[in-house]
Amino acid sequence: MPEMIAVENINKKFGDTEVLKDLNGKVEKGQVICVIGPSGGGKSTFLRCLNLLEKPTSGKISFEGTELTALNESQINQLREKMGMVFQSFNLFSNMTVVENVKLAPIKVKKMANDDAQKLAVKLLDQVGLADKADQYPASLSGGQQQRVAIARALAMNPDVMLFDEPTSALDPEMVGEVLKVMQDLANQGMTMVVVTHEMGFAKNVADEVWFMDGGVFAEKGTPDQIFEHPQNERTQDFLAKILEA
Amino acid sequence: MKKLMSWLMLVVTVSVALLGVFAQPTYAATAVTDDSLARVKEKGTLVMGTSPDYPPYEFLVNRGGKERVVGMDVDIAKKIAKDLGVKLVIKQMDFDSLLVALETNKVDMVISGMSPTAARKKSIDFSKVYYKGGQSIIINKADKGIYKNKNSFQNKAVGAQTGSIQYNLGKNQIKGSTVKGLAKISDLILALKSHKVEGVIMEEPSAQAYVDNDPDLAMINGKFSLSSGENNTAIGFQKGSTSLVNAVNKSVDEINQKNLTKSYLKHAGTFMKTNTKNTSMWHYAGYFVKGVEYTLLITVVSVFFGILLGILFALMRLSKMKLIHGLGVAYIEFVRGTPLMIQVMFVYFGIGLFINIPALIAGIIAVSLNSAAYVAEIIRGGINSVAKGQTEAARSLGLSQQQTFVSVVFPQALKNIWPALGNEFVSLIKESSIVSIIGVTDLIYQLKAVQTATYKGVIPIIVAMIIYFVLTFSLSKVLNHYERKMKHDA
Ligand SMILES: Nc1ncnc2c1ncn2[C@@H]1O[C@H](COP(=O)(O)OP(=O)(O)OP(=O)(O)O)[C@@H](O)[C@H]1O
Ligand SMILES: [Mg+2]
Repeated sequence: MPEMIAVENINKKFGDTEVLKDLNGKVEKGQVICVIGPSGGGKSTFLRCLNLLEKPTSGKISFEGTELTALNESQINQLREKMGMVFQSFNLFSNMTVVENVKLAPIKVKKMANDDAQKLAVKLLDQVGLADKADQYPASLSGGQQQRVAIARALAMNPDVMLFDEPTSALDPEMVGEVLKVMQDLANQGMTMVVVTHEMGFAKNVADEVWFMDGGVFAEKGTPDQIFEHPQNERTQDFLAKILEA
Repeated sequence: MKKLMSWLMLVVTVSVALLGVFAQPTYAATAVTDDSLARVKEKGTLVMGTSPDYPPYEFLVNRGGKERVVGMDVDIAKKIAKDLGVKLVIKQMDFDSLLVALETNKVDMVISGMSPTAARKKSIDFSKVYYKGGQSIIINKADKGIYKNKNSFQNKAVGAQTGSIQYNLGKNQIKGSTVKGLAKISDLILALKSHKVEGVIMEEPSAQAYVDNDPDLAMINGKFSLSSGENNTAIGFQKGSTSLVNAVNKSVDEINQKNLTKSYLKHAGTFMKTNTKNTSMWHYAGYFVKGVEYTLLITVVSVFFGILLGILFALMRLSKMKLIHGLGVAYIEFVRGTPLMIQVMFVYFGIGLFINIPALIAGIIAVSLNSAAYVAEIIRGGINSVAKGQTEAARSLGLSQQQTFVSVVFPQALKNIWPALGNEFVSLIKESSIVSIIGVTDLIYQLKAVQTATYKGVIPIIVAMIIYFVLTFSLSKVLNHYERKMKHDA
């Protein structure tokens, strides 16, 4: 069985600074990968390379057997439909109501009829526990609610993989749980997920693999047990020690 | 990106096509062979250019709410048209613009109390002289004892119509005087009454008309030394229109032989009497209504095209393609770096050399193109003000760049820039008044027409001021309403 995502020797430079260095990795269908590591290590950049929000300077990324780096604009658009992304800062469209946020891509990209899109949106909002907020504007929602809408919005395209970039970092502590719960449910349903996170508990309980990233490289990869209980790399040990202290 | 560009090209094409519908091709500017007479006969119309603020030569009267140009020159033009067997069409514009209008084929002839001076003869041809009048100076009646003739104005300020003979007479023959040039006689009279100038130099019949209609004014003989060109009045033509000039000269000969100008002047006098009978502003409501119609028409159409083109130029300026970016920057900076007035004249007279654009359309094009540059900068600011995360979220869902722009970025940009756009529209109502210089009958133009017709300076200004304020104030209110409606956050 081919991997869902395969990354081979990707590099990324911003000007002269090398942010990603010769990264390799594979994500299989149904797997949950958690990427952890210190700030500035390149986690977001890596994740954004997967759906080409950033173009790698060199290297190959393939998704479901298609090599991404060789695609043109409209092919990239088609591919992005299948990769949902959830951002640290939610990025809900402020000019639209909650339900319009969820419906937009199915209508515009999949050319779904409004009625069908509406039904789908209501179903997904129900799934994240926000059916009653459908007609409100994002600004009137709490952070946790906004992030759950953002997840529903990504799910509306029926993606094969979901990319999360620190989905709970911008939330007040009391709202972290509700978002993690939605993500855990998704994982239980068999969704393939790549999650950049500082929530070590979530990584421990949900991840199939944990990738520790520092200085633009994956310093260590392994099962949660290997990474959290028996870290081999010195930098992993340092990082975990600092996290546990705090 | 390609899709976006083709979409933009469509917008441009449609805009240009819509504007183009009103334009008709014109004849080549200067024909090598003289077909001036044949051309007039072929199209069946004789277009006369005139600046109707010079009674009794030409001025506006209000008949049943409709205004009309009348005067000695109009009667002369009618006779000429009749003799040629064609229809007379009258085009109004500022005196300043008349020569250019001839050169650019906007009009076939100019009859506007114009003297055939040596300088003018260099650029246009003239018919034989149809009227000889002296040059007078109008003064305030109270000053009658002080001013006797031109020599009394040494070291004083006098006024004259810009581009006129009288202006040069003042400059050259009154020692140490300052000559103030204004485009409209009505403004000159105002300047006289408020002692901005002490006298206004004018042709004798005109001066007589003003004095007859205003008890506060008096006139004196200027005693200027006049070369034969300077107290004469003749008809102007484009250089090289010998056949047309010859044909018209036959009519002029007849006018001179039968001394027809005498009866024409009398005819003009009858209009001036009815004109002065009713100087209440209500009587001229029709003028103002028409002015408001044109001002609103120009503003609304210009706002529409200004936004379309403004979006286009903003996107060009934001483009990553060097050439397109450069064109966008060049356009915006150039338009913002030149006065609207010059742009209006450029479109009407400059472009008019190749395509015959009616004044109203020329005005709308110029104002639209001008507004587009300012709107483009507002929109660019608005687009930049939309958080990058919004675009990334849309793109990550599979929306194309174009879909992202239309559904996400632009609506948010619009909300952010709505107040600035609103300001732009409000100021457009005011700034569009510049089109009056090419004879578009907007509110400012009508204001001057009412001033000329009523011999009243200040009251029409107050009326126009109130109308402008009501227009801009109500627009602001409407825009505020929509601004509040668009606020979803906070
Ligand atoms: N657009 C950019 N231009 C220049 N440098 C950038 C850009 N984006 C990221 N970087 C740099 O690349 C490095 C990695 O950034 P990245 O955001 O991927 O780190 P991260 O691991 O996600 O950190 P954090 O935990 O703080 O989110 C940082 O040094 C950052 O300053
Ligand atoms: Mg990050």
